[in-house]
Amino acid sequence: METSNKTNEIMKNIIIIFSLLVLPGLAIAQSPWTQKKGGGFYKLSQWWVISDGHFTDTGQIDPNVTSGVFNTSFYGQYGITDRVTAVLYFPFFSRAYFNNTISGTTGEVITPGESVNSIGDTDIGITYAILKNKGIKLSSTLLLGLPIGKSAGGESGILQTGDGEFNQLLRVDVGGGLSVKKVNLYSAAYFGFNNRTNGFSDELRYGFEVGGIFFKEKFVATLRLSGISSLENGSAADPANGTSLFANNSEHFSWSPELAYNFTDKFGVSASFGKAFSGKLIFANPAYSFGVYLKM
Amino acid sequence: MKFICLLLTGMLLTGCIGDDIIFDTVEETVRISNPIDSLQVGDTFQFTASYLNNIGVEENQTILWSSSDPSKASIAEDGTATGIELGQTQIIARVELPTKTVADSMLLNISNTTTTPPAVTERSGSIVTTSSYLLQGDFTLREDNGDLILEFDSNYAASSALPGLYVYLTNNPNTNNNAFEIGEVTTFSGAHSYIISGIELNQYDYLLYYCKPFSVKVGDGDIE
Repeated sequence: METSNKTNEIMKNIIIIFSLLVLPGLAIAQSPWTQKKGGGFYKLSQWWVISDGHFTDTGQIDPNVTSGVFNTSFYGQYGITDRVTAVLYFPFFSRAYFNNTISGTTGEVITPGESVNSIGDTDIGITYAILKNKGIKLSSTLLLGLPIGKSAGGESGILQTGDGEFNQLLRVDVGGGLSVKKVNLYSAAYFGFNNRTNGFSDELRYGFEVGGIFFKEKFVATLRLSGISSLENGSAADPANGTSLFANNSEHFSWSPELAYNFTDKFGVSASFGKAFSGKLIFANPAYSFGVYLKM
Repeated sequence: MKFICLLLTGMLLTGCIGDDIIFDTVEETVRISNPIDSLQVGDTFQFTASYLNNIGVEENQTILWSSSDPSKASIAEDGTATGIELGQTQIIARVELPTKTVADSMLLNISNTTTTPPAVTERSGSIVTTSSYLLQGDFTLREDNGDLILEFDSNYAASSALPGLYVYLTNNPNTNNNAFEIGEVTTFSGAHSYIISGIELNQYDYLLYYCKPFSVKVGDGDIE
């Protein structure tokens, strides 16, 4: 049972880290702008990462068996009032796998690969616009991470599409925009505290982004920087429990460019990737995303 | 709906389980299992040897025995040596493979008595990291009432950050395949020990630290 728990923690880390790296940029609103009453933003996207290396506890990169995580998700914002926006991130199809390990000498399968398909952990939340009509926008978001994904998938029980942990993220976003020679530019920043349960360490999350809208508002280019720092206050920080430490105290500082194209005022597509500059106990390969969105 | 189907199809196509190749080849070896120091003139002694293949697994192969100086001691096909005349000779055990010969040898004194070396009851070594994770320390492997005791000195230290870290005895330090699993690592610093049953002291030549979930080697140590 102990072994099972520990191996579960590993894949838990995979899902968590991938989510942390990508969700801030691709799914969860990372700006202080909220929806008007009755308005909305809806996005279907495919996000994936295939990783054969990870940042170790000393920040160096070591190999691991090639693993993949794929999320097909719905993301939506809906303006309940002009100041209050509801947020939902729902990965309705999530797939995780790892490769076969093959002897290069004999061709024998040493460890067979496995996969699991299910829905993934889901986030719901509320954003409140504190400053909406001024030049500088300010909002606060409460986001709840619902552990409805699988926490012990595959024959070995080490594959997960969720971490089994309920977390609450409280975040403040600030930002503003200006127009320079018919190009609309904007920038935003956020800072948040993520309270995690089940012995996971709490986290500080932070990020900054700049973007521009070009060519008659057809193209939107964005560059995001984001990071997570662990407070290392989880119960699994006990050195006697190494696997939990790995799952708990992951950190990273990442960058993620995104390019979007608006076919119409309401419909567009976007593509992005995210990669960590540095990290601890996270996978090192870049993650990619492609999606279509609808603005109402 | 078309877009969702496209996404799901693309995901399933790109998310197929592939193969990771582990480079796990080691040199084939022959080991004379029961060396002696000297053989009395007129006495006989039955030598035995084993062969480990290119992944470090014991394999049945015909052992070819020979003596470098048959006038001092002869050796039969089954490994039975006979002392003939005072002096020295090399006893050689070899396996002929399609592309090469693998052999082990020992110096045998032909004298007035047959003597065997003191029984080895203890082996030792040091583990070193082969990854970016901390792993170090000296260890001793010794016999104890039919079991083996693997003892680590106080200078032992291992990273507690790596999940699913296991320790093995093996003849192939490149993989945990065919290795004897001692257990999951739960002590990350200081002196500690493992009790191992069903294994002989000279059966394995390496201690291996391996991360099972990531299928990667973390470190190893020769058992001297």
